[in-house]
Amino acid sequence: MIQSAVAGLVSGGAYAALGVCIVLVYRMVGVLNFAQAAIGAFGAYATFVLYENGVAYAPAVLLGAATGGAVAALLGYVMSTWFSESGPEVRSTVTIAALITLFAVAFRAFGDSPRSVPDPFSGAAFEVGGVAIGATGAVAIAGAGAIALAVGLGLRHTVTGVRLRALSERPTTAELVGIRARRLSIGVWAFAGAVSALAVLAIAPSRTSDFLGLGMLVVPALAAALIGLLRSLELAFLGGLAIGLIEGVAANFPSVSPYRQALPFFVIVTVLLWTERSEVWDARR
Amino acid sequence: MGAAVVLSVAAFVGSASGAGAGGVSGAAAAAGPIKVGAISSLTGPVPFPESSAAAKAVFDQVNATGGINGRKIKYIVADDKADPALAAQAARRLVDQDGVVGMAGSASLLECAVNAAFYKQKGVYAIQGTGVDPVCFNSPNISAVNTGPYLGTTAGLYFASEVLKDTKVCMIFYNIPGFESAVKQSVARWTAITGKELTYFDMSLGLADDPTPQIVKAKEKGCQAIVHNGLEAHAIVWGKALKAQGLTVHEIALTSAYTDKVAKELAQAGAEGIYANSEFEPYLSSSPALKDWRALMKKARVPQTSFAEGGYLAATFFVQALRTINGPITRKSVAAALLRLKPIKHPMVGSPYSFGRGSAHNPNRASKFVQVQNGRWVVVTPKWLVLPTA
Repeated sequence: MIQSAVAGLVSGGAYAALGVCIVLVYRMVGVLNFAQAAIGAFGAYATFVLYENGVAYAPAVLLGAATGGAVAALLGYVMSTWFSESGPEVRSTVTIAALITLFAVAFRAFGDSPRSVPDPFSGAAFEVGGVAIGATGAVAIAGAGAIALAVGLGLRHTVTGVRLRALSERPTTAELVGIRARRLSIGVWAFAGAVSALAVLAIAPSRTSDFLGLGMLVVPALAAALIGLLRSLELAFLGGLAIGLIEGVAANFPSVSPYRQALPFFVIVTVLLWTERSEVWDARR
Repeated sequence: MGAAVVLSVAAFVGSASGAGAGGVSGAAAAAGPIKVGAISSLTGPVPFPESSAAAKAVFDQVNATGGINGRKIKYIVADDKADPALAAQAARRLVDQDGVVGMAGSASLLECAVNAAFYKQKGVYAIQGTGVDPVCFNSPNISAVNTGPYLGTTAGLYFASEVLKDTKVCMIFYNIPGFESAVKQSVARWTAITGKELTYFDMSLGLADDPTPQIVKAKEKGCQAIVHNGLEAHAIVWGKALKAQGLTVHEIALTSAYTDKVAKELAQAGAEGIYANSEFEPYLSSSPALKDWRALMKKARVPQTSFAEGGYLAATFFVQALRTINGPITRKSVAAALLRLKPIKHPMVGSPYSFGRGSAHNPNRASKFVQVQNGRWVVVTPKWLVLPTA
């Protein structure tokens, strides 16, 4: 049982990183980005294509992350140009449109057959409870944690962080006091896009990497973000790991196992019910 | 409009046969080409374009050497994009509008399941180039040339327990909706043949899941062999995951993993040793049985794959049935020819092909197993492994 849980951790690391990106974008620019994982997958596919064409792995990864960042920045540009005055519902809907567009573009650009994925750290790094955790998985978990921490600290203690927070709290006021709102928000998009590409690259070697499957990693990532109530980066990180653990443990129980892909939905509903309970109870009274 | 076409075709065929024995060749010329259909997933999530392309190469060659009694074969291939609605439409168009005399060389995820009842109703018979869904092996009107995933599964288990002599045989399958009961029957067939039971059986893996939790479980259970149904990309993920978990088991996959890419990728990752079932003479081998097939595929520029072998065989057998027909070639006479077809032995298949009047067909019961060694697939069972009937 513990072993299965540990086996799920690697996936959990990637969910966590994507969940952290979703929380970051939501907090800073007020958009629930349904296309977060697809943007990451796009960056990851760029890496695969470069690698297949003879580019060494390290520069390919950097360029892939840059591609993810660029795609996200483009979406951020669209958002700040045409939808800066729209409500969160409209903006989130735009990201769903972006998700569908990305699927369509990726099928055209990369084809629909799964890619073979390079795993630079193949082989086991260390063992936990009899389960070997590959270096890629370990890097994913540690990386996600580091990003959650660093971003959290950066928002609290750096000038850019303060500006970003001002921007997310009172966008118009922030702009009036001279904060370059648009540039900053596009920066947030680009950062989250690049990190997502790295997260997808970390999870890809252990999955059959077709674009649709990778893009739909957004479901567990959203569940992780919700565990952080779309506010706490640290909780989103822990939430991602927890979902990975739950999925791993579920493999142990034949009655639950076939429904593993639906577990994130269950987590989402539970979290929503729990956080909204007071509203329901208040309405009843 | 469809009905009108059928009526006029029927009237035409009727008048042609009414011309009498003396006028067969004249009537044949008047009847135009022999229309043969196929419905394949040429595009879509799981494409198999080689099967019907290979069948076309065979028909083209027959046409180039004079056709069937002077009549050319017109081969009409429809793409179902693995979409049931498109598969159903395609069958109606081919049968009702185009008036095909039969089907040969189809390869699709779901074509049989969608159209078997329609074929039965219309008296259309099909030689499937690559049968995938359970109905391909469970219909009186369809007889596939390949072993298929179900007998293939039984063959994989049989290979593990009887050839590799593993006592703890496990099976971890990707869950594909609609296939579950057929897969369970495959296991039951193995149990009936060998009297053995699986040590661990898991059918809950999603197509996009990480198999590591199941592999860890298999380790706990002490599995010596794991049979799985991964496609090309899955086989690569599996090889790496098994290596990462330090599990030295016999990994046995179905035909879908038997590709050049799998061998190369696994060699690169240092995760070799996977076995796969080849339902025909292994296409990556230099066997003389493949000489004619290889030359034709090269000439027609069809990629040489296992699917191309299936299409080639389906078309070859179909032509053989056509050649036995005396008199007009109609849907009815083609059906009769297929039903009375004597079992055909072919060097590319280990058991003779037959159609016959059974309510279900799965004539190909033979496998050759191949293994990745040094970046290449090597044949490890040079003799055909023919599944005994339970």
